[in-house]
Amino acid sequence: MPSLFVIRGNDQGSRFEFAEGTTSIGRDASNDIQLHDTEVSRRHAQIYGSKDVYTVSDLDSSNGTFVNGRPVEAHRLESGDHLQIGRTLMLFTQPPGAPEVDLSDKVAISSDKAFGDQSHIVHSVSHEESSHFFELSPQVEQSAWLARARGNLQAMYRAALAVSQTLDIDKLLHRIMELIFESVEADRGCVMLTDADTGRLQPKVQRTRRNSKDGDRITISETILDYVMENGEGVLTSDAQQDDRWNPAASIVRMGIREAICVPMRGRYDIVGVIYIDTSTSPQELMLKGVANRFSEDHLKLMVAIAHQAALAVEDTRYYSAMVQAERLAAVGQTIATLSHHIKNILQGIRGGSYLIEMGLSEHDETVVRKGWKIVEKNQNKISALVLDMLTFSKEREPDLQPADINRVVCDVVELMQAHAADLDVAVHCRLADDIPTLVFDPEGMHRAILNVITNAIDAAADSERSGNVEVATAYLPEDGKIQVSIRDDGPGIPADEMEALFRPFVSSKKSRGTGLGLPVSQKILSEHGGRIAVESYPGKGSCFSLELPAVAPGTGREATSQTTIEEP
Amino acid sequence: MHASPSVLIVDRSEETREVLETALEKRGIRTLCAARIHRAAEMARAQQPDLIVLDLELDRSNLGQVCAKFQAEADCQQPPMVLLGSMQKAPANPHCEIVAKPYHYGLLIRKIEEILETLNRDSRKPA
Repeated sequence: MPSLFVIRGNDQGSRFEFAEGTTSIGRDASNDIQLHDTEVSRRHAQIYGSKDVYTVSDLDSSNGTFVNGRPVEAHRLESGDHLQIGRTLMLFTQPPGAPEVDLSDKVAISSDKAFGDQSHIVHSVSHEESSHFFELSPQVEQSAWLARARGNLQAMYRAALAVSQTLDIDKLLHRIMELIFESVEADRGCVMLTDADTGRLQPKVQRTRRNSKDGDRITISETILDYVMENGEGVLTSDAQQDDRWNPAASIVRMGIREAICVPMRGRYDIVGVIYIDTSTSPQELMLKGVANRFSEDHLKLMVAIAHQAALAVEDTRYYSAMVQAERLAAVGQTIATLSHHIKNILQGIRGGSYLIEMGLSEHDETVVRKGWKIVEKNQNKISALVLDMLTFSKEREPDLQPADINRVVCDVVELMQAHAADLDVAVHCRLADDIPTLVFDPEGMHRAILNVITNAIDAAADSERSGNVEVATAYLPEDGKIQVSIRDDGPGIPADEMEALFRPFVSSKKSRGTGLGLPVSQKILSEHGGRIAVESYPGKGSCFSLELPAVAPGTGREATSQTTIEEP
Repeated sequence: MHASPSVLIVDRSEETREVLETALEKRGIRTLCAARIHRAAEMARAQQPDLIVLDLELDRSNLGQVCAKFQAEADCQQPPMVLLGSMQKAPANPHCEIVAKPYHYGLLIRKIEEILETLNRDSRKPA
């Protein structure tokens, strides 16, 4: 399904999915996509989709609709396009349509034997080596042109390599500058990036060749910068007098020549900055070598190409950090929403309990007071459980290992949950293996881990319209060196698209009833023991969660299967 | 109408049911309790309560569906309902009151009493 993901603006982190047909975008709540942005018109724009083609059109909005930085009336959206409406910047993505030809028919991977291929590897090149591919071999004589061309290719390849190797913009820009200095005879250079907020150019990298006589300070003409930014073209400048009316030699001999190249960093969407280099030839050098330009059109072309590479990387990185930031915000929102739902329920319970206590007190009915008090107490326990889960989840802790009986732990949990289950018309059956020896584990931790999974199982079983069943079984698998507690329910099962988020903290499919902490906490406890939780789910039939724990006998001390250290009991 | 009015409480939370049950019984109102829609619908058909208190966060389905699901299953002449939770669109049943969560029990019980009184007055009116 195509979607718009807000990467900047008040709705940052929101993802709006939409289907074919008309989808309206605007500030008003009546729109399919409502943006909380005062610069968005009430009905601002609409997207019309049919047969995998989506077109955005502006609905005479006051501030206009922009695709990839350009104002549009109507524009066909491609996956990856930036759509700006008011101050809100969104990314359009569309899953690729069904491929027309199954390419696996045309490209097959098969074992050599089956294929009868006699090919063998003659030579291989590592990633590192490949960067020297264009280097000249000293034996071969080169024409100057060929040498330059190869040099340029080499520089381009290295720039591409640098881009692929780092997400750190500052490091990358330094590397790019280094490459430029290697291939162009520049004395000074700098990279400037456009600030996302102010739109002004900010110097990021500055480099001076050693022994440069001009000093570190670079002064760049605003006219040149404006020209480069506005036209998106690279320029080569020289202050050598070209006017025939002057005596060229005299002026050059007095001043020397300053040459500069300034190129835009043009990315996919926008110009993100400029790269500038300059050089000056002193009068003495001119006298010795004659008038020769140091910068050529070839240099300019190379610079434009390198700047493009760098710009793509800058855009990627900016986009990446915007995504990270947006996801983080979304995660915080999710956390708060889930927690506040749960806390609201606890509050509701406490209110109920206090109401009964008040009623009982005023009517001098002690049974009612007791009833109320029980409810208040139960909710206090819920708060402690929540805090405990949050602590277990948030900090590194060592499990409190001691010899214990896993069947005992399972029985305790089942007993504890029996009343709650019966209440929801769910029967909990227990099938315990009688051959499990006393093993070393953290009984309190395992109690919590099993409790969380059984609570989920009961809730899931209660979701089916008939009376539900939960089966808890233990098994000893000495050949695998582990014990297994499996909890099976006959609920609706877990939809395939929810499986991935199953152990993600603060994501609950149980609406207000879940904290979104149960499974992450269980999983954490199991991995502290060197165990794991395996999940199988059959939509419509139910799910099975298997908690697998390494079987560690007391007093062995050299447990191959366990990753945790065992303290002698 | 029965001698004493009856209320069906449908809520997943045992606590809520217990509080409402205790408070209403004290006031001479008969209560029926169910944790799930299916059971509640059966009870509504068999016992014909005067009022139904329905928790909208009953299961995974969205809030609007809970009410519709119940009405479809109960398949009886609909008594007035008090819905706990929040709903974007008011249900079709005109005798519906919505009480947002988290609510105060005092207010909820007063509301239940008011509705029952109105019903009582209406039923005494000559036909």
